[in-house]
Amino acid sequence: MKHIKVALAGQPNCGKSTIFNLVSGIEQHIANYPGVTVDKKVGYFKYDNYKIEMVDLPGTYSFSSYSLEERVAKEFIIDEKPDVIVNIVDASNIKRNLYLTFQLLEIGIPVIVVLNMMDVAKRRGIEIDSKKISKMLNCPVIEASGSKGIGGKDIMKGIVDTVTHAHQYEEFKINYEELEPHIHNIEEKIESTQSVLNKRWLAIKALEGDSSIISHLKTEFNDIDEYIKNQEKLFHEKYDKDAPSFLASYRYESADIIHHNAIKEKNLGKATLTDKADKIILNRFLALPILILFMFLVYEISIVGGYKLTDYTWPILAAFKNLVIDILPAADFIDVPMITDFGIWMVNSGNALMNYLPIFFILFALIAIMEDVGYMPRMAFILDRVFKRFGLHGQSTLPLVLGGAMVGGCAVPGVMATKGIADDRARMATILSVPYMNCLAKVPFYTLLLGAFFKPDMAIMMFFISTITLFIAMIVARIITATILSTRETAPFLMELPPYHLPTFKGVIIRAFQRVWLYIKKVVTIVLAVAIVLFAMLQFPGLDENAMKVYEAQGTKALQTFDKKVKSSSYYNEVDTKQKVSTLLNYYDGYRAKRMVTSSREGAEDVDNEYREINPSSFKFIKPKRDKEAKKVNKALRTLSTQRKRILRGMKNDKVESSLLGMAGRSIEPLTRYAGFDWKINVAFLSSFAARESAVATLGSIYENNKADDMRAEEAMALNSGYTPLHAVAIIIFMILTPPCIATMIVVKMQTNSYKWMLFAIFFPVFLGIIISSVIFSLGSFNNWSGVEAMIYFYITVVLIALIIGLFPTKNINWKGGIQSKAKGQYNVYENNFNIGENR
Amino acid sequence: MNSKMRTLASLEKGEKAKVNKLYAKGKLLQKLLDMGFVNNVEIEVIREAPLFDPMELKLHNYNLSIRKSEALLIEMDVKE
Repeated sequence: MKHIKVALAGQPNCGKSTIFNLVSGIEQHIANYPGVTVDKKVGYFKYDNYKIEMVDLPGTYSFSSYSLEERVAKEFIIDEKPDVIVNIVDASNIKRNLYLTFQLLEIGIPVIVVLNMMDVAKRRGIEIDSKKISKMLNCPVIEASGSKGIGGKDIMKGIVDTVTHAHQYEEFKINYEELEPHIHNIEEKIESTQSVLNKRWLAIKALEGDSSIISHLKTEFNDIDEYIKNQEKLFHEKYDKDAPSFLASYRYESADIIHHNAIKEKNLGKATLTDKADKIILNRFLALPILILFMFLVYEISIVGGYKLTDYTWPILAAFKNLVIDILPAADFIDVPMITDFGIWMVNSGNALMNYLPIFFILFALIAIMEDVGYMPRMAFILDRVFKRFGLHGQSTLPLVLGGAMVGGCAVPGVMATKGIADDRARMATILSVPYMNCLAKVPFYTLLLGAFFKPDMAIMMFFISTITLFIAMIVARIITATILSTRETAPFLMELPPYHLPTFKGVIIRAFQRVWLYIKKVVTIVLAVAIVLFAMLQFPGLDENAMKVYEAQGTKALQTFDKKVKSSSYYNEVDTKQKVSTLLNYYDGYRAKRMVTSSREGAEDVDNEYREINPSSFKFIKPKRDKEAKKVNKALRTLSTQRKRILRGMKNDKVESSLLGMAGRSIEPLTRYAGFDWKINVAFLSSFAARESAVATLGSIYENNKADDMRAEEAMALNSGYTPLHAVAIIIFMILTPPCIATMIVVKMQTNSYKWMLFAIFFPVFLGIIISSVIFSLGSFNNWSGVEAMIYFYITVVLIALIIGLFPTKNINWKGGIQSKAKGQYNVYENNFNIGENR
Repeated sequence: MNSKMRTLASLEKGEKAKVNKLYAKGKLLQKLLDMGFVNNVEIEVIREAPLFDPMELKLHNYNLSIRKSEALLIEMDVKE
């Protein structure tokens, strides 16, 4: 079967992905382009004895080398040499889209133009003579409407037809008139090139000053740089025009000619629906409230609604956990095999992350809808002014909101949502500041500490915690853009505000699935690897012999008590050995665990039936009903189960204390002492690296005293830890500043494509957190501040710093070129008339 | 016909003018050209953002937003 490689190119918002989804079928996969963070989507399909591989290039307005997307798209064409380029054109906005079409035609690879969104064009009263366009461009032109599923067959047929008739392909040429002699000169100069690419195209690109093409040519022709500059200079001297502007003007003029000849617009000048909608959505007074409303809705539906949904998905995960426990070797009273421990640990770690899947799915679907509708660039338009001051971008709005602008978000989708930010510096700053926002999984930790130390002031403390994060994120963004990111490439803020579109159901679902799948693949695998390491660090070196003996003695005593209690029962022969008791105990605990996750009556009956079937004779001890003898055993069994749990917990605590992680916690105690942290807190922080939730679990298990009482974790902590509210404030501040849960770090790695940045994202917050916590704790101890006072001072300081930065005019040099010429006073004449935007 | 040179940033909402010259260089220049700021193209100012910066324009039949700091570098020919 013959193989055809197709490149799918088009400007942003032309409906490229709908066409891609339409023709590529289900067999598609996304990966990153090597070395960059731009998505590479590849779809495969068969048509008419051909195997077609379609690569979706990033959407670009042009084919130069100025943005990451453009570089990626161009490098693909140069390196992979596709057989045919399918150029998607927005039929309702032909003129600007043709600008790219001309550049694609010049490359010299056969091009198929697909007029997408024909339905929209028709609705707007735009009449298009596609045959005429085809004749003028000398290439096939296909009408389509991706969202309505029209045109897929024609496109496939067009691809095969074009490839089979490739030898008849006639080269496309724009006559650049005045520039022609210079193009010709360069063509001659590179006559002997080994490159299979079209020489005229190379010459044009070189005149355009395309750096990657020039360096490509430089490998063959040493002096090409100077030669091109000289040609440009000659052209400039003769006509007082610059080659890049001239080329761009010419392409726009050519597009204008086609537009003039083949397109009739009936409703010209009439206000479109988009215009009317924008009058409200971008209205000076309404824009902000509407934006806040939308953000609130997104947050409410995904984070809050999704969290409710986990009530339904959690039982599935819990059932999976029970299944694993069933398979793993059972515990022999207090002797739990390591493999069982390990299995449960891994399932718990995995479940903690899988639990977020419903939230992520809803969130990614909502993001896809907002992208499709066209609200994203409008959001950036509304808020850019604020974010610019902090080195961020208007497009940072959504990532920050998702990260947790309210009570709890999640940095994972927040960081993932930074993908579209055009300005690389602002994108990096957003990626690195989103993790400071309020993470949902930190909330139980705050509640625990607040419940233990700030009972009367809980509401105000929670307000401080949830609002301070945004200020901190902004300050961090400003600091890192001014320092380590200052050399990063930036991009001018030139964003299209596309007409509003209705999203397609299929497109939204496909994209949401793809993103969730990416999360599962990348995050879960690596998180599980880290979980293994953490397990080992908690497990070894294990309990020493003396401690083991103590616990064994406790275990034997518990068993003896049980034995004494059931001896008089007529069922004694069923529980007269340790072996039998252990089996029954596991049976009982297994039943309890399964009952815990089923809430419905039928579910409970199912569990009953299941256990009755497994072991009918033991079931009477679980549900004794009126059997007095069995009731006796049941009562003793319950006590024994509680006792065993307590002994196991004690063993676990001792194990944690003497484990490698415990030692690590102790070894950094001299350092964290200044912040008021003891080794227990250190261990909690260290273990919470895998998932934030475990911070509470660890602390809870450490502070639980070994007496059998019903004390809640908060009370136990307040009573047993010896901390003051000031300690708690230092701990809370550290928690606010310390984001690096492993899942977040993996997405930081994914989005920055660099382990260096991932490590920075881990260690910088830790460093910042320990310093600030130490300062607050030391000042607080010295001045005898109460916990609330310390928090208030911290809060005021942070807000003041943020305000000063926000009000202080930034002298951000955003790109090379424009601003420099201003600095040199090249157009002094105008200076008095200029209302410099930055200082307004 | 009288005309006056102003920068794009100084145009008011609803005003129309033609691009006369770009003072940008390098990356910004190329980006401006790609987005359609070529000579003699008519640009209409649709609105300013709620916080006064950036501004929204209409050119070549599509809407574009641009920061004022960039709009300063575009010289416009305004008919009087």
